[in-house]
Amino acid sequence: MRQAYDSWLCGWRVASDVALPDLMPWTGDNRPADLQIRVGSVPEHLPGAVQYGPLIQLGARAMCRFAVPGVATYLIENARTVTIAPDSDAGSAEVRVFLLGTVFGILCHQRGLLPLHASCVRIEDHAVAFCGPSGAGKSTLAAGFESQGYPILSDDVCVIDTAAPGGPVVWPSFPRIKLWRDAIDRFAFSTEGLERTRPTMEKYQVRTHRTFDIRPAPLAAVYYLRETREGEAEGISQMRGLTAVRDTCNSVYRRRLGRSLGSPEAMLSAVGSLCERIPILRLGRGRNFSKIPSMVKDIAGMHAGVCL
Amino acid sequence: MSGFYWLASYPKSGNTWLRLALRSLLTGGKPVGFDEEESWIPIASARDPFDSVMELESSDLTQEEIDCLRPMFYIEQARLAKQPLIRKVHDAWIRTRAGTPLFPPAVTRGAIYVVRDPRDVAVSYAHHACCSMDEAIAFLSDPNAAFASAKTYLTGQLRQTMLTWTGHVASWLNAPGIRVLAVRYEDMIAHPESTLAEVASFCGIDAGAELIEAATRATRFDVLQQTERDQGFREKPRGMKQFFRRGQAGGWRDSLSNEQANRIVSAHGETMRRLHYI
Repeated sequence: MRQAYDSWLCGWRVASDVALPDLMPWTGDNRPADLQIRVGSVPEHLPGAVQYGPLIQLGARAMCRFAVPGVATYLIENARTVTIAPDSDAGSAEVRVFLLGTVFGILCHQRGLLPLHASCVRIEDHAVAFCGPSGAGKSTLAAGFESQGYPILSDDVCVIDTAAPGGPVVWPSFPRIKLWRDAIDRFAFSTEGLERTRPTMEKYQVRTHRTFDIRPAPLAAVYYLRETREGEAEGISQMRGLTAVRDTCNSVYRRRLGRSLGSPEAMLSAVGSLCERIPILRLGRGRNFSKIPSMVKDIAGMHAGVCL
Repeated sequence: MSGFYWLASYPKSGNTWLRLALRSLLTGGKPVGFDEEESWIPIASARDPFDSVMELESSDLTQEEIDCLRPMFYIEQARLAKQPLIRKVHDAWIRTRAGTPLFPPAVTRGAIYVVRDPRDVAVSYAHHACCSMDEAIAFLSDPNAAFASAKTYLTGQLRQTMLTWTGHVASWLNAPGIRVLAVRYEDMIAHPESTLAEVASFCGIDAGAELIEAATRATRFDVLQQTERDQGFREKPRGMKQFFRRGQAGGWRDSLSNEQANRIVSAHGETMRRLHYI
């Protein structure tokens, strides 16, 4: 059966039963779908599966079941098919949030790509990624770049092909930034018409389809963003050796799960090759994130006009 | 089985002090550097470990959903660990909406509950939160008191429900099905070595008198104050002058008016009597 929606997700053609308005529409050739998304039932227990953590079962032949209580259960098969069993409306924002979160991360790991928990922006022809712990301000900084004319490649999950000829390349994921109410207010965005990630949460999905560019971009730098402590200097410093590898490892999206889906050695080697070829920098930001415009300007200045 | 020792307390009751003493104990009585990341006893409500173990973004979950998943998180964390884990806790011992204890007895090896005279807690909290004494006193009596409960931005910690001071104390001291060791802050000051020895023995840490003495010496209040002056203390809220401020019992006498102190006694008198504060 032909599926109703034809979308683009980091270069994959996605055929889906449900509308995925977060993604770009497919504008490429007539190839068969790389990924199929269906609505259907998902078994309670995968045959022969092992329970991996409270919410995930891993079965034979790259089968993976992921349940978010009260939202949906997702079944991923062969890295090609996702079946969604929603608890309510399959097309709702909350069902898509976890599809484009953990499920997307699983697909990346299964397909041999390195997903970093990072926002990523395009500066001229290069990609610059921002990792950091929860609440460090990855999305807020991405919105700062977007508002000054630098399009985002990703908000949450930055997909890197570390084996690309010529060096690591970022595949743009989808044109959506999830922002909390305080960040929305900071950029004076209107929440009118914005979808909430969850019906009762003050967290919104900002679409950036207009500026999104689907061309992959060579990765120019990875910044590790965090709030400075009192008395600590803000700004950029280089990270080296094991510190860079350790922090990059910790920034791999769904890192533990990824090691179970692939091999720990493969992940370490992907991270190692990234750290060898790309500058890994620390970016300290002050409280309240008051200097976003000047940070954007400084970082853009560093990476503009640089030939790799 | 690994399981947890919960180092639980209402905020500003000496949790960090005891945590540092335990850390010194576990590292052979060494001085405690504030800039070392390793061997730091983490808080049970940190967001990133939850996300890592549960394999999803808690920032996409409601606070109620997170509470419902936290028992599973602790059971899984205990399963993954090879050794017993020690975690700092400020949550009250509560049940989730589904009726499950937030801190599952099945993975609880024991809880050390640090308690302090609520009049001193109020004064210390006012300094910590940069608020007035009256606001601090109201916080201690607020049944909805919580940390990290913001709804319009993301906090580095998961929401912690505290209840009132009395509710918090009762929740832990009466928690069913777990071993609880109550430690009074005032006893930590008056008898630091025997108190630490009791905590060590409760946690199954083999510590002789020499080690206890070294850990006590390493975490004397004036030593911690000096370390904070030299290195800063990363858990100090911005705006607060000094985290290790006085470390005294009964300091409330020169900070609270009679009326303010009486207000605390009338709200929490029964529990204060239980703990011999009045």
